[in-house]
Amino acid sequence: MAAADAPITPEGQAAAHAARQAKLRKRSSGRLMIFGFLSPSLAILLFMVAYPVFSLVYYSFFNFSALRQATMKPVGLKNYTFLLSDPELWERFVFTGKFVFICVTLQMLIGIFVGYQLQKNFRGRDVIFTILMMPMMLSPVVVGFLWRYMLNSEWGIVNFLLSSVGLPKVDWLGQTNAALWAAAAADTWMWAPFIALLATAAFRGIPETIYEAAEVDGASPAYRFFRITLPMSAPVLFIALILRLIDSFKQYDLFVALTGGGPGSSTETVSYAVAKTAFSYFYTGEASALAVILLLIITGLSLILVRHLTKMSEKY
Amino acid sequence: MTNSRTSMVDLVTRWLILGLLIVYTIYNVGPIFWLILSSFKSRMDLFTMPPKLFFTPDFSGYQSVFGVGAAKDSASSVGVFDSLVNSIIVSVAGTSLAVFFGTLAGYVCSRFNFRGKGDFMFFVLSTRMLPPVAVLVFYHLMFARLGLADTRFGLVLVAIFANIGLATWIMKGFFDGVPKEVEQIAIVNGYTRMYAFTRLVLPMVKGGIAATAGFCFIFAWNEFAFASILTTTQAKTLPVKISAASGATGIEWTQICAAGVVLIIPVLIFFYLIRKHLLMGMTFGVLGRR
Repeated sequence: MAAADAPITPEGQAAAHAARQAKLRKRSSGRLMIFGFLSPSLAILLFMVAYPVFSLVYYSFFNFSALRQATMKPVGLKNYTFLLSDPELWERFVFTGKFVFICVTLQMLIGIFVGYQLQKNFRGRDVIFTILMMPMMLSPVVVGFLWRYMLNSEWGIVNFLLSSVGLPKVDWLGQTNAALWAAAAADTWMWAPFIALLATAAFRGIPETIYEAAEVDGASPAYRFFRITLPMSAPVLFIALILRLIDSFKQYDLFVALTGGGPGSSTETVSYAVAKTAFSYFYTGEASALAVILLLIITGLSLILVRHLTKMSEKY
Repeated sequence: MTNSRTSMVDLVTRWLILGLLIVYTIYNVGPIFWLILSSFKSRMDLFTMPPKLFFTPDFSGYQSVFGVGAAKDSASSVGVFDSLVNSIIVSVAGTSLAVFFGTLAGYVCSRFNFRGKGDFMFFVLSTRMLPPVAVLVFYHLMFARLGLADTRFGLVLVAIFANIGLATWIMKGFFDGVPKEVEQIAIVNGYTRMYAFTRLVLPMVKGGIAATAGFCFIFAWNEFAFASILTTTQAKTLPVKISAASGATGIEWTQICAAGVVLIIPVLIFFYLIRKHLLMGMTFGVLGRR
């Protein structure tokens, strides 16, 4: 604007020209940086995600087995109609849903509670913090085996402790409902510390001055927690919720080691069913269709949640 | 009157909190304690009822994990040490590259506004949401065709892709915490943006890079689904190897527990070193600048 208002002299024009050039150069260097910095990630993700997902959609319309790759028969939507009319699939969705609900609820409650205690400064906090975080450092397979070992109905430590206080022994992994709770207990054991970690980080990010102001107004500890701490860290807690919701929804490793899908096929998650269809039965076409259904649900779910998150964090 | 009542309430709440904390600590630490204890138990001691707290330690689990001593040649420990080496190579290479690319992408997402940024951010995050088994159906074929099946290189590729999303998002959060004025002043003083990034901004987020690496390492180190389907003999990682340790003799509990302890040690050390950064900036940049 300033350049346009100035009298049109050769010097003025030259200066305006130079300024414009500099601006252009800066912008193009910005462009170059955006392009250069994003392209490696984009290349890897396109190759490792976009390409497989498109192929998956393609395969889902075929009767196709990875073992006999020569015979691919187009079947249209048959894979989908077969899957969606299969009552077993609905059972898996119901089981997965129950598992997700129990896990996420327990983990959020425990995580926020423990995180709130850990944000205070006390002696030995760093060591206690690190020890409490240990379950999430373990491999899910090890976690599965460890809990399977502890929950063994005959020589497991859990049943030993139960019977030593006079409670009846439970066949944890032999009954559907008990196995559901066992899996949820193992998943919660592993991941509640993760929520606690994120919660602690979020709680410590709240400026002390806000608490001090509340103190002056004579706010109770409960008021501090529910009216300041929770709302002010809501976006981070919501991210934690999204991550756990999606991760427990796609849980696979834990069930491989803990229950092997049993008893029967009653503790098979949807992910487990995909793996079984694809790599035990080698019904690749059907597995692709099931994977597409799973992808649609998870992408839809995360789209809704992330949109909500963006709205939420705009308020801050 | 009111005063004494509130102090009663306070006292009860405090005891309640303490009680809950104790219960949680037992639930949290107990299994870890049991894991460590069981890793030293011989086959006999594992199944005794009541469980033994004191016993002569048996190191066969550790011997088979490290491929040394008497247990080295037992059927269940063949190739376990090789799988530990595979685990180290794959997770170190995968983590470094994922953090490197994620740092670049996170910086751009934090500093620039470009067309499709929101879509890019969501696409990156969605890779973190992707169920491994879904893409595995196709990876299984793709890796075989490209000669990547059962190779460490293939697993490194997987480790990069699986962690790049998380790395980008965490790093964006840390970059958001660095004031934009840093680059503005550098540019006004005639330095390039690249110089400002490498010499000024990067040193300021060192802790963030460490925290990101910590997280990616945990996931890469413990990854199971991909490695279990995409490897057969040569490139097996330790989590995959031990899950197969249930042969004719039943599940090798001692070996699994020992492997669990071995697997947790590097993560534990790493975690303790970066604990400060985990507690400072793990907010994904969603809390705004304070």
